[in-house]
Amino acid sequence: MDFVIVSIVMLVIGIYGLLTKRHLLKVFISVELIATGATLNFVTLASAIGKGLGEAFLILAFSTDTAVSAVILALLVVVSKKYGTSDISEIVSKQDDGEGEVEV
Amino acid sequence: MILEVLSIGLIVTACLALFLDEAVYSIAALAGTFLCTALIYVLSGAIFVAIFQFAVGVGTLAILFLSGEMLSDKQTKKTSPRMTGGLIGAGVVLSLPGIFLSISGTSASTADVSFGDALWNLRGVDVILQGLVILMVALGIAIVLHERRNGGK
Repeated sequence: MDFVIVSIVMLVIGIYGLLTKRHLLKVFISVELIATGATLNFVTLASAIGKGLGEAFLILAFSTDTAVSAVILALLVVVSKKYGTSDISEIVSKQDDGEGEVEV
Repeated sequence: MILEVLSIGLIVTACLALFLDEAVYSIAALAGTFLCTALIYVLSGAIFVAIFQFAVGVGTLAILFLSGEMLSDKQTKKTSPRMTGGLIGAGVVLSLPGIFLSISGTSASTADVSFGDALWNLRGVDVILQGLVILMVALGIAIVLHERRNGGK
Protein backbone atom coordinates (compact mmCIF):
# COMPACT_ATOMS: atom_id res chain seq x y z
CA MET A 1 0.00 0.00 0.00
CA ASP A 2 1.56 3.25 -1.10
CA PHE A 3 0.39 6.03 1.14
CA VAL A 4 2.26 8.64 -0.83
CA ILE A 5 -0.39 8.30 -3.51
CA VAL A 6 -3.13 8.57 -0.90
CA SER A 7 -1.55 11.74 0.47
CA ILE A 8 -1.29 13.16 -3.03
CA VAL A 9 -4.99 12.43 -3.56
CA MET A 10 -5.77 14.21 -0.30
CA LEU A 11 -3.68 17.17 -1.43
CA VAL A 12 -5.53 17.30 -4.75
CA ILE A 13 -8.92 17.16 -3.02
CA GLY A 14 -7.90 19.98 -0.69
CA ILE A 15 -6.58 22.17 -3.50
CA TYR A 16 -9.74 21.53 -5.51
CA GLY A 17 -11.81 22.62 -2.53
CA LEU A 18 -9.70 25.74 -2.09
CA LEU A 19 -10.22 26.67 -5.72
CA THR A 20 -13.90 25.88 -6.10
CA LYS A 21 -15.66 26.25 -2.76
CA ARG A 22 -17.01 29.64 -1.77
CA HIS A 23 -18.07 28.96 1.82
CA LEU A 24 -15.52 29.97 4.43
CA LEU A 25 -15.98 26.78 6.42
CA LYS A 26 -15.35 24.66 3.33
CA VAL A 27 -12.19 26.61 2.66
CA PHE A 28 -11.05 25.84 6.18
CA ILE A 29 -11.88 22.15 5.70
CA SER A 30 -9.83 22.22 2.51
CA VAL A 31 -6.86 23.60 4.43
CA GLU A 32 -7.30 20.83 7.00
CA LEU A 33 -7.36 18.20 4.25
CA ILE A 34 -4.15 19.58 2.77
CA ALA A 35 -2.49 19.49 6.19
CA THR A 36 -3.74 15.93 6.73
CA GLY A 37 -2.30 14.83 3.42
CA ALA A 38 1.05 16.42 4.22
CA THR A 39 1.26 14.81 7.65
CA LEU A 40 0.22 11.44 6.24
CA ASN A 41 3.07 11.66 3.77
CA PHE A 42 5.45 12.60 6.56
CA VAL A 43 4.39 9.72 8.80
CA THR A 44 4.62 7.20 6.00
CA LEU A 45 8.13 8.21 5.06
CA ALA A 46 9.26 8.50 8.69
CA SER A 47 7.95 5.05 9.55
CA ALA A 48 9.59 3.64 6.42
CA ILE A 49 12.94 4.98 7.57
CA GLY A 50 12.28 3.66 11.06
CA LYS A 51 13.55 6.58 13.11
CA GLY A 52 11.68 8.57 15.71
CA LEU A 53 12.99 11.91 14.54
CA GLY A 54 10.32 12.13 11.87
CA GLU A 55 7.62 11.64 14.46
CA ALA A 56 9.17 14.35 16.64
CA PHE A 57 9.12 16.78 13.75
CA LEU A 58 5.59 15.75 12.98
CA ILE A 59 4.44 16.60 16.47
CA LEU A 60 5.89 20.06 15.94
CA ALA A 61 3.99 20.20 12.65
CA PHE A 62 0.79 19.31 14.52
CA SER A 63 1.35 22.20 16.91
CA THR A 64 1.87 24.58 14.02
CA ASP A 65 -1.18 23.22 12.26
CA THR A 66 -3.30 23.78 15.35
CA ALA A 67 -2.08 27.35 15.68
CA VAL A 68 -2.81 27.99 12.01
CA SER A 69 -6.27 26.50 12.43
CA ALA A 70 -6.91 28.78 15.41
CA VAL A 71 -5.91 31.87 13.44
CA ILE A 72 -7.99 30.82 10.42
CA LEU A 73 -11.03 30.14 12.56
CA ALA A 74 -10.70 33.47 14.36
CA LEU A 75 -10.42 35.32 11.04
CA LEU A 76 -13.34 33.32 9.68
CA VAL A 77 -15.61 34.24 12.56
CA VAL A 78 -14.55 37.91 12.50
CA VAL A 79 -15.07 38.23 8.74
CA SER A 80 -18.46 36.53 8.80
CA LYS A 81 -19.51 38.73 11.70
CA LYS A 82 -18.31 41.87 9.95
CA TYR A 83 -19.95 41.22 6.59
CA GLY A 84 -22.91 39.14 7.72
CA THR A 85 -22.24 36.28 5.32
CA SER A 86 -19.93 33.32 4.87
CA ASP A 87 -19.85 33.40 1.09
CA ILE A 88 -16.56 34.67 -0.30
CA SER A 89 -18.19 36.10 -3.43
CA GLU A 90 -20.64 38.13 -1.37
CA ILE A 91 -17.83 39.32 0.88
CA VAL A 92 -15.81 40.47 -2.13
CA SER A 93 -18.83 42.24 -3.63
CA LYS A 94 -19.52 43.95 -0.32
CA GLN A 95 -15.89 45.00 -0.16
CA ASP A 96 -16.20 46.47 -3.63
CA ASP A 97 -19.31 48.34 -2.55
CA GLY A 98 -17.40 49.74 0.41
CA GLU A 99 -19.35 48.00 3.13
CA GLY A 100 -17.66 46.91 6.30
CA GLU A 101 -14.72 49.24 6.02
CA VAL A 102 -13.08 50.24 9.23
CA GLU A 103 -13.16 53.96 9.94
CA VAL A 104 -9.83 55.38 11.08
CA MET B 1 -6.42 -5.34 3.86
CA ILE B 2 -7.13 -3.06 6.80
CA LEU B 3 -4.86 -0.36 5.42
CA GLU B 4 -6.65 -0.45 2.10
CA VAL B 5 -10.04 -0.12 3.78
CA LEU B 6 -8.76 2.75 5.90
CA SER B 7 -7.30 4.57 2.94
CA ILE B 8 -10.58 4.19 1.05
CA GLY B 9 -12.42 5.49 4.08
CA LEU B 10 -9.99 8.38 4.33
CA ILE B 11 -10.59 9.49 0.79
CA VAL B 12 -14.35 8.95 0.93
CA THR B 13 -14.76 10.92 4.14
CA ALA B 14 -12.53 13.68 2.77
CA CYS B 15 -14.78 13.96 -0.26
CA LEU B 16 -17.86 13.95 1.94
CA ALA B 17 -16.38 16.64 4.18
CA LEU B 18 -15.84 18.84 1.19
CA PHE B 19 -19.01 18.20 -0.77
CA LEU B 20 -21.78 17.82 1.77
CA ASP B 21 -23.96 20.92 1.89
CA GLU B 22 -24.90 20.82 5.55
CA ALA B 23 -22.09 22.23 7.67
CA VAL B 24 -22.60 19.88 10.60
CA TYR B 25 -22.59 16.77 8.41
CA SER B 26 -19.51 18.06 6.70
CA ILE B 27 -17.72 18.43 10.02
CA ALA B 28 -18.85 14.94 11.02
CA ALA B 29 -17.29 13.60 7.83
CA LEU B 30 -14.12 15.49 8.71
CA ALA B 31 -14.17 13.67 12.04
CA GLY B 32 -14.17 10.42 10.08
CA THR B 33 -11.19 11.68 8.13
CA PHE B 34 -9.28 12.38 11.32
CA LEU B 35 -10.23 9.00 12.74
CA CYS B 36 -9.08 7.13 9.64
CA THR B 37 -5.84 9.11 9.67
CA ALA B 38 -5.19 8.25 13.31
CA LEU B 39 -5.85 4.55 12.64
CA ILE B 40 -3.46 4.60 9.70
CA TYR B 41 -0.83 6.14 11.97
CA VAL B 42 -1.38 3.38 14.52
CA LEU B 43 -0.99 0.70 11.88
CA SER B 44 2.13 2.42 10.56
CA GLY B 45 3.73 2.15 13.98
CA ALA B 46 3.57 5.83 14.91
CA ILE B 47 1.62 5.56 18.14
CA PHE B 48 2.50 8.97 19.54
CA VAL B 49 1.61 10.70 16.33
CA ALA B 50 -1.72 8.89 16.33
CA ILE B 51 -2.40 10.08 19.85
CA PHE B 52 -1.54 13.63 18.86
CA GLN B 53 -3.69 13.42 15.76
CA PHE B 54 -6.58 12.20 17.86
CA ALA B 55 -6.16 14.94 20.47
CA VAL B 56 -5.76 17.71 17.93
CA GLY B 57 -8.63 16.32 15.89
CA VAL B 58 -10.97 16.29 18.86
CA GLY B 59 -10.09 19.89 19.77
CA THR B 60 -10.35 21.11 16.22
CA LEU B 61 -13.67 19.40 15.68
CA ALA B 62 -15.18 20.78 18.86
CA ILE B 63 -14.30 24.30 17.81
CA LEU B 64 -15.39 23.61 14.25
CA PHE B 65 -18.80 22.52 15.46
CA LEU B 66 -19.10 25.79 17.35
CA SER B 67 -18.00 27.82 14.36
CA GLY B 68 -20.21 25.86 12.02
CA GLU B 69 -23.22 26.52 14.16
CA MET B 70 -22.32 30.20 14.32
CA LEU B 71 -21.75 30.59 10.61
CA SER B 72 -24.66 28.60 9.26
CA ASP B 73 -27.32 30.78 10.97
CA LYS B 74 -29.82 27.98 11.37
CA GLN B 75 -32.93 27.91 13.46
CA THR B 76 -32.28 26.32 16.83
CA LYS B 77 -34.22 23.11 17.40
CA LYS B 78 -34.98 21.54 20.73
CA THR B 79 -33.71 18.06 21.37
CA SER B 80 -36.52 15.66 22.13
CA PRO B 81 -36.38 13.44 25.25
CA ARG B 82 -36.36 10.37 23.02
CA MET B 83 -33.29 11.68 21.26
CA THR B 84 -31.61 12.40 24.58
CA GLY B 85 -32.38 8.88 25.78
CA GLY B 86 -31.02 7.44 22.57
CA LEU B 87 -27.83 9.40 23.00
CA ILE B 88 -27.43 8.21 26.57
CA GLY B 89 -28.04 4.60 25.48
CA ALA B 90 -25.53 4.94 22.68
CA GLY B 91 -22.99 6.29 25.16
CA VAL B 92 -23.57 3.33 27.45
CA VAL B 93 -23.23 0.85 24.61
CA LEU B 94 -20.05 2.51 23.40
CA SER B 95 -18.57 2.39 26.88
CA LEU B 96 -19.11 -1.38 27.19
CA PRO B 97 -16.02 -2.40 25.16
CA GLY B 98 -13.88 -0.18 27.37
CA ILE B 99 -15.24 -1.96 30.42
CA PHE B 100 -15.15 -5.57 29.29
CA LEU B 101 -12.28 -5.61 26.80
CA SER B 102 -8.62 -4.84 27.28
CA ILE B 103 -5.68 -4.35 24.95
CA SER B 104 -2.81 -6.63 25.83
CA GLY B 105 0.60 -5.12 26.52
CA THR B 106 -0.42 -1.54 27.14
CA SER B 107 -0.16 -1.65 30.90
CA ALA B 108 3.22 -3.38 30.87
CA SER B 109 4.80 -0.75 28.65
CA THR B 110 3.85 2.15 30.90
CA ALA B 111 4.41 0.54 34.27
CA ASP B 112 8.03 1.57 34.93
CA VAL B 113 8.15 4.98 33.26
CA SER B 114 9.33 7.79 35.50
CA PHE B 115 8.09 11.34 35.22
CA GLY B 116 11.33 12.57 33.67
CA ASP B 117 11.20 9.87 31.02
CA ALA B 118 7.58 10.64 30.29
CA LEU B 119 8.34 14.34 30.07
CA TRP B 120 11.42 14.23 27.87
CA ASN B 121 11.81 10.84 26.25
CA LEU B 122 8.10 10.21 25.69
CA ARG B 123 7.49 13.85 24.65
CA GLY B 124 5.28 14.79 27.53
CA VAL B 125 6.34 18.42 27.11
CA ASP B 126 4.83 18.37 23.65
CA VAL B 127 1.57 17.07 25.05
CA ILE B 128 1.48 19.90 27.58
CA LEU B 129 2.27 22.53 24.95
CA GLN B 130 -0.36 21.08 22.65
CA GLY B 131 -2.90 21.27 25.44
CA LEU B 132 -1.97 24.91 25.98
CA VAL B 133 -2.49 25.65 22.29
CA ILE B 134 -5.91 24.01 22.34
CA LEU B 135 -6.77 25.91 25.51
CA MET B 136 -5.82 29.18 23.81
CA VAL B 137 -8.02 28.30 20.86
CA ALA B 138 -10.94 27.53 23.16
CA LEU B 139 -10.41 30.81 25.03
CA GLY B 140 -10.31 32.74 21.77
CA ILE B 141 -13.55 31.20 20.59
CA ALA B 142 -15.14 31.87 23.98
CA ILE B 143 -14.11 35.54 23.76
CA VAL B 144 -15.52 35.82 20.25
CA LEU B 145 -18.78 34.22 21.37
CA HIS B 146 -18.94 36.59 24.33
CA GLU B 147 -18.43 39.57 22.02
CA ARG B 148 -21.12 38.26 19.73
CA ARG B 149 -23.54 37.85 22.61
CA ASN B 150 -22.89 41.43 23.66
CA GLY B 151 -23.92 42.64 20.22
CA GLY B 152 -20.46 43.29 18.80
CA LYS B 153 -19.88 46.44 20.81
